[in-house]
Amino acid sequence: MRPCGIFDERYTQDMAILRTKQHWALLVGALILLYLFPLFGSYYLVSFLNNLFITIIVVLGLQIVSGYCGQISFGQPAFMAVGGYASAILTLKAGVSFWLALPLSGLIAGVFGIIGGAPSLRIKGFYLAIATIAIHFVTMWLILHLKITGATQGLNPMPPEIFGFPLDTDERMYYLIATVMLIMTFGARNLVRSKVGRAFVAIRDNDLAAEVMGMNLYHYKLLAFFISCFFAGIAGSLYGHLIMVVHPEQYTLTHALWYVGMIIIGGMGSIPGTFFGVIFVRVLDELVLFASPFLSEAFPWLGASPAAALGLSAFGLVLIVFLVFEPRGLAHRWEIFKASYRLYPFAY
Amino acid sequence: MTEFLQLLISGLMEGGLYALLAASIVLVYKSTQVASLAHGQILAFGAIFLYIFLATLHLPLVIALILAFAATALMGLLIERTTLRPLIGQPLFSSFLVTFAVFMLFDGIFQLIVKGGTLTIPHFLPAGTLHAGALMVPAGQLCSFIAALILFGILGLMFRYTKVGLGLRASAENHQLARSTGISVKQIFSIIWVISALVACVAGIATANVTDIYYTLPQMGIKGLIVALFGGLESIPGALIGGIILGILENLSAGYLDPVVGGGLKEVAAYIMLLLILLIKPYGLFGLVRIERI
Repeated sequence: MRPCGIFDERYTQDMAILRTKQHWALLVGALILLYLFPLFGSYYLVSFLNNLFITIIVVLGLQIVSGYCGQISFGQPAFMAVGGYASAILTLKAGVSFWLALPLSGLIAGVFGIIGGAPSLRIKGFYLAIATIAIHFVTMWLILHLKITGATQGLNPMPPEIFGFPLDTDERMYYLIATVMLIMTFGARNLVRSKVGRAFVAIRDNDLAAEVMGMNLYHYKLLAFFISCFFAGIAGSLYGHLIMVVHPEQYTLTHALWYVGMIIIGGMGSIPGTFFGVIFVRVLDELVLFASPFLSEAFPWLGASPAAALGLSAFGLVLIVFLVFEPRGLAHRWEIFKASYRLYPFAY
Repeated sequence: MTEFLQLLISGLMEGGLYALLAASIVLVYKSTQVASLAHGQILAFGAIFLYIFLATLHLPLVIALILAFAATALMGLLIERTTLRPLIGQPLFSSFLVTFAVFMLFDGIFQLIVKGGTLTIPHFLPAGTLHAGALMVPAGQLCSFIAALILFGILGLMFRYTKVGLGLRASAENHQLARSTGISVKQIFSIIWVISALVACVAGIATANVTDIYYTLPQMGIKGLIVALFGGLESIPGALIGGIILGILENLSAGYLDPVVGGGLKEVAAYIMLLLILLIKPYGLFGLVRIERI
């Protein structure tokens, strides 16, 4: 987003994310708004944003492995579960402080992600996608049948404390989640323009060509899985401590489909696209939630609570529309808008 | 020994249904190169249509069956026309993902109909159990297994001897060459979706006859994909063998390993098997090994 007539003279200028004074002003304004939001936003909006931010963290990870590295993964909820359980076990049974358990759960999920990403060394495309579905089910089955994870009972992690001050409400957790989300976004945005990010893009575009050019495919593919699962683990830990429950029911294959759908709607291979996709889908879901009581009154055969099913159908429909008419997602529209803004008031 | 044989037989019966679903996925993949998850929904809706015609509208069995087949064929045709045909020429992965979207779209509708419970189709296959020594075979399952085998035979004959089958094989081989010999590839795509929808419908009705229409029935589609991958995505005999192996494996692991690990192994046996086979033979048992060029 920069207006007409501003040109880059040095490499650092070309690479800068924030190019103009207006960008800085926008960023500071947005940060102030973000952090002051719980003061005037309703409880409902704050908890909605909490869920939104956690989803953004998960989908950022998926964006890196699927959007940038081209390895479609349906295993994201399973690794989120690994992170959530790791954090719960560390804080409850090992007595580790939450502030240590948060990065540790990311690392543990990442190590599991390397194991889960191992099939990508042999297979790709939808073979890999189906393999990640298999990994999801095997992981969830293990969680359900191990003693340490509390089996069907799940675990109840305690809310984190900071200097004796418990973050036990949605408003208090909001600051933590928003901060982590900002750090993760910053990390992801910078990762994808580093050497590693470029290697990912090369592998996505043509893995054989990338290998011939001297990239270590195994190293980078596993790294992509590690990073994406690190994101999922962090999000899982935050989610577990936010709602104070980790239970296998929270991490289903449907969630994996939602996450993949979000990066398609937002645009594959774009960090802003991740935000567009998550916000679009979550808002759509909330709209369906609002509309469903009226729909169920108007059409009694829908049953008493059609929200979940209607949300699923609406999401499937939107996904089909995007895949058929705008396969490059909302990020592509955003690029078009940015290009025309830069040229304004000229036509080209 | 008896227990082993009993598990083997029930595995065989279940495997026949998996094989049928996998065959419908393989049919589509062979000619359109799209691995479809949507067949799980086609299967479920085949059963739902039969339920509507048989249990709600109280039509005679034969008419209800014909109507259910027609409705399912129409559903397959609609899916092909509205979602997959616009994606011809796009990356194949988009087509794969669009079948996921179709799955979710129909899953919502399915959940609205089933409402988290179970719908019971009036059982029309013979009830009761056949006894062979100490072994028991439910007659209904045996009927659907035989129906599956017959359907496999018909599919094989159709591919081998009819003009449509020739067109299907030609377009599976090479779209460009098929078109230059005067075969309409688009028409072939429609035909193959109708045929595979019918096959999935048979599998759905047979499954629902054994287990009723329960709310996770569409997830059979994932099992079908796994069997298709296991046997090789291009191979119809592979689907048959893969399905039967999966059915037997599931029952054996449930029978022998469940007491050791604490239950529920039947659900994940398929996934563990898939992961192992993909590591050893990435293109399945009878799949074509693709050689890639840069």
